[in-house]
Amino acid sequence: MPRRIRRRILATLLRREIYRFARLLKQTVVPSLVTTLLFILVFGVSLGGHIREISGWSYIQYILPGLAALGVITNAYANTSTSLYAARFDRSIENWLTVPISPLQFVVALISGGVLRAVLVGVLTILIAVVVVDLPVQSPLLTFAWMVLMAVIFASLGIVSGLRAESWDSLATMTNFVLTPGIYLGGVFYSVGMLPEPWQTISYGNPIFYCIDGIRGTVLGTADLPLWHSGAVVVATAIGMFSLCWWLFQRGYRLVK
Amino acid sequence: MGQAIGIYGLIKKFNGLTAVNDVSLEIPEGEFFGLLGPNGAGKTTLISCLVGLARPTDGRVEIDGVDVSQNPLRTKPCIGFVPQEVNVEYFFPIDRILEFQGGYFGLPIRASRARAEALLRQFGLWERRDVQYFRLSGGMKRRLMIVRALMGEPRVLILDEPTAGVDVAQRRELWDLLRQLRAQGVTILLTTHYIDEAEALCDRVGIIDRGQIVELDAPRTLIHRYCSRRVVIDLAHPVAPEALRDIPGTWEVTQNGYRLLARPPAGDHRLGELTEALMRQLMCEPAQRICDLQIEGGDLEEVFVQVTGRGIDAAAHP
Repeated sequence: MPRRIRRRILATLLRREIYRFARLLKQTVVPSLVTTLLFILVFGVSLGGHIREISGWSYIQYILPGLAALGVITNAYANTSTSLYAARFDRSIENWLTVPISPLQFVVALISGGVLRAVLVGVLTILIAVVVVDLPVQSPLLTFAWMVLMAVIFASLGIVSGLRAESWDSLATMTNFVLTPGIYLGGVFYSVGMLPEPWQTISYGNPIFYCIDGIRGTVLGTADLPLWHSGAVVVATAIGMFSLCWWLFQRGYRLVK
Repeated sequence: MGQAIGIYGLIKKFNGLTAVNDVSLEIPEGEFFGLLGPNGAGKTTLISCLVGLARPTDGRVEIDGVDVSQNPLRTKPCIGFVPQEVNVEYFFPIDRILEFQGGYFGLPIRASRARAEALLRQFGLWERRDVQYFRLSGGMKRRLMIVRALMGEPRVLILDEPTAGVDVAQRRELWDLLRQLRAQGVTILLTTHYIDEAEALCDRVGIIDRGQIVELDAPRTLIHRYCSRRVVIDLAHPVAPEALRDIPGTWEVTQNGYRLLARPPAGDHRLGELTEALMRQLMCEPAQRICDLQIEGGDLEEVFVQVTGRGIDAAAHP
């Protein structure tokens, strides 16, 4: 198949993904931004003065990179998992399987759609923070790259969930009982260094910790672990998750009878 | 003329159940082929193997001589597929669904929109282009599925029970559309359990039962092979049996001579010579008049019963 045709197919898949979430902005992008504003209101205006600084940053400044990560993670996961499960639910996935789209194109398009939505939320969250609480961003490009890597990981996880789910409940279970606890216990609201043992060591086993600690490092220049350490974990996980999705699509896992 | 579709020793098993059992079949370019069988006979599984929704357990499936399993990205651009059940994005307006479908076949956005518009107009859906599919009537939904299948300008169109659940008028309308496509040179593979549909549309039919093709030929040939047709004539005055002794074939007179039933000689499936002879003989009587004339038997339904030993509805619910 000529390259220009392959490019058009990929672009169409990506347009479809963007169209899907863009027509439902009030359900997709806006809620994360409202959550951020509420956190700023609660921890910046109401309680901020009563919580002491962490590593020289006001509490709201300290938690905002983590809140951006929260938005990136949940949106990346939600986009791919709902897109894929909805396509299985209304059986439009069967149409995708009968048109000339390769497994790699599927995976790249789905993940790119998730990454776009997630990074849009992440960037807007940081922009709000810059404007409202004067958040300094030490390495904007690195922050952006970090968001992309996080989004790849959780968009991929969304694909795995979307393929495995037998009901909408299965997707919600993953969000409520795995992702949300993982994010909250991954150091969004505190430094893991503040935890007593064995909780500190246990936190190092949580992959979401490396995402949050790293993005805080790129924004504030303050992190529990050196950036290269978190970076290695995040890059390796992103590559691993992407490869897993590609392999599942190549096998036709839960798609081809 | 090459083979548009080639199926060679196809076997498909699901959890130990053999849905398709050693099927071999070739469909040349431009043919309108019907796969006729009851629900559960293996029709959908067979075409799922053709379009990439199922992987053969054994055997080979080819489109234009290219192995579907080995080179799906070369075979899929040739195929338009109309599934049995509507499978479009629930919340997308139908013009958007079609625009994306064109893109999946590599059409640029403008070309895809133009093609969608042309097809929506041709199939009478243009006025409804901005609604979601579930707001369409049953017939419109079926037409939408055909329009979507045509977005990639397929050389091979595969339709799985395209008229299931639509009313008679809509079925006829779809038949006309399919005939037009066939006239444009599209090879069509249609699965159906409506016998009249296969008979009206198809150049050849394959009868599939319990995963196997049990008979395969042109509808007329099958009818001639398996069916015993007879001419039934109702008369105004009784006919004397001895007046018919020179008629070719076999005949009997019933209803006190008012009804005549005649069959052509064994091995001759044509009714022309027999009817002519009957008319000639009957019209020798000046007062004789024909009240009614019927030709009984001789459809694919009878072929199906002869071949499988069951009616198609009985076969659907064994």
